[in-house]
Amino acid sequence: MTTPLLEIEDLYARVCDKEIIKGFNLSINEGEVHAIMGPNGAGKSTLSYILTGKPGYEITSGTIRFKGKDLTAMSPEERAREGIFLSMQYPVEIPGVPTATFLKHAVNAVRKHQNLPELDTLGFMKLLKEEGAKLGINNDMIKRAVNVGFSGGEKKRLETLQMSVLKPSFAILDEADSGLDIDALKVVAEGVNALRDGKRSLLVITHYQRLLNYIVPDFVHVFADGHIVKSGDKNLALELEEKGYAEFVREK
Amino acid sequence: MAGLIQNIPLIGKEIPWLQTLRNSGLQVFEKSGVPTPKAEAWKYTKPRDLNADDFVMQTSSAMGSSPLELPFPCYQIHFENGTFNPEISDLPQGVEVLPLIEAVLLKGDTRQYLGKLIEVERHPFAALNTYYLNEGLYIRVEKNVELKKPLMLINHTVCGAQNLFFNLRNLIILEEGAAADFIEYYHYSGEVKSRYFANIANEIFVGRKARFNHYKFQNEAFKANHVALSNVEVKADGAYNSFCLQKGANIGRNETRVFLRENNARTNVDAAYIMNGWATLDTTTDVEHLAPCTFSHQLVKGVVGGDARGVFQGKIHIAKDAVKTEGFQLHKALLLSDTAEIDVKPELEIFADDVKCSHGAASGELDENALFYMQSRGIGLEEAKQILIDAYLDDVISKISFEAIRDWFKDLAAQTKV
Repeated sequence: MTTPLLEIEDLYARVCDKEIIKGFNLSINEGEVHAIMGPNGAGKSTLSYILTGKPGYEITSGTIRFKGKDLTAMSPEERAREGIFLSMQYPVEIPGVPTATFLKHAVNAVRKHQNLPELDTLGFMKLLKEEGAKLGINNDMIKRAVNVGFSGGEKKRLETLQMSVLKPSFAILDEADSGLDIDALKVVAEGVNALRDGKRSLLVITHYQRLLNYIVPDFVHVFADGHIVKSGDKNLALELEEKGYAEFVREK
Repeated sequence: MAGLIQNIPLIGKEIPWLQTLRNSGLQVFEKSGVPTPKAEAWKYTKPRDLNADDFVMQTSSAMGSSPLELPFPCYQIHFENGTFNPEISDLPQGVEVLPLIEAVLLKGDTRQYLGKLIEVERHPFAALNTYYLNEGLYIRVEKNVELKKPLMLINHTVCGAQNLFFNLRNLIILEEGAAADFIEYYHYSGEVKSRYFANIANEIFVGRKARFNHYKFQNEAFKANHVALSNVEVKADGAYNSFCLQKGANIGRNETRVFLRENNARTNVDAAYIMNGWATLDTTTDVEHLAPCTFSHQLVKGVVGGDARGVFQGKIHIAKDAVKTEGFQLHKALLLSDTAEIDVKPELEIFADDVKCSHGAASGELDENALFYMQSRGIGLEEAKQILIDAYLDDVISKISFEAIRDWFKDLAAQTKV
């Protein structure tokens, strides 16, 4: 039996003294795509921040193991270098920092960790242009400050570009479809699907089923009141689309 | 060994006007002494250890400074511990660079300039500097001559067991239509705990239609005192643009006073400082709009960590007849710790109608969300902080029009760990 890529056991976590994650269990193997669906306020985004180590999110009990290692002992940057990536629901604007500069620092930090030689500016720009072209991201966009003045769709495409160049082994997509029109959604989904190689795993956090038509999951979990209340295959998403979350919210 | 007032051999004691000038400085400093916080202009910046009596004044030159490696060609003029190393070659026609005292002895006209822009009563340390008037540069750029390569004054303090005290006095004259870029560079080697005192005064005359770009990098030893005053006169259609990056010294003060004397005189007085530990870095400006249609713009940005303190005192004075004048001033600081502090004192004195004037001040902290965003991409926390600091200082450094100098300052700022 192989070790799961990510293994979360009986996790409890809080933010600002408020318990948000309550008895959460999830196991994700290499190459699997899991979707977490749930009503607003269920703690979906909290889960993504817990996994990436955002300050202020405190684990009170339980374990998280990534590639067999204790994830909770790692800093956010160590987690990223180990291969965890979060496509954020609200990507952060960084005034004054050109997107290309930011990404070069990131790519080289990860390469250094993997004992690969750092990319020089020329090599890096070549990579960025190639990957950017696939997502309709032009030169002008990567010269601008990170996310500053980007439309909702541009921000999500930039998140996907970051994932394409950082090549994580495990990516969390937090509401990757919010604010996207159908064309932009297809571009983002294509970018994500291009990374599905049978080894890389995905955790897709979404409110609506729509995204899952494009990024088809192996497993769907319903997340309510801080833990998973029901699991199934992709058909569960369709069922939820029809019936809504009322049944699960009422449960508590 | 003695305190700040010493009797050292100075050249030109037989020249009456020079001795009168030196003595006027001595009299003022004897009366004022080292300024205390009671003096309004020194309220926030307290010179430390300057009343000690163990200062050694360097009067002989022991040269050996090798050229600084720079990413752009320039004329390098080396000083060691405030003493001139006379090697300078291949200056273009129409540009004179001499040791100041040599110019005083050889050129009659220095008398018309020296001491004319500095009121010693207002500036105790410049008064002291006037008493020791001897070492420094005389730079004169003749009418319509444009210096293509920057001139660079490099002072290298070689710190030993003793605490050095030295004065530098520079006289810079740009005739009508002349243009030059000038860089002051202060650095040290040796004993880092040396409490040396560098006291600098510049008098700069920018003629009609002339342009003078003045850059400075202050990277003194961490217990040093560095006090500098640049007083500048700008005539019609002339421009004085300055940028100073301070990162060294325990007490570092860079004070600039600009007299916009005639119509359409312009100035940019910009600065940045990066500091931690217990340092105080002070940027003091005083822009005097003395004629109609004169323009000033000041942007000062600081990054303060540890228990350090940033000080900005900025004054814009608009005289009675100086209509259609514009004066803008903005100070911003990034505080990296709970114990970092900034003290800001903006002052506007407006005696004319029909002027545009503004000042502003802001302080903030590093954006935690931006830091986490970068960390979540694999960038280490320290590196992420540095990226944000570089971005914070980018706009003020980007105001430098000389591309190679701009890039050099960006590198100098980026190399500074806070």
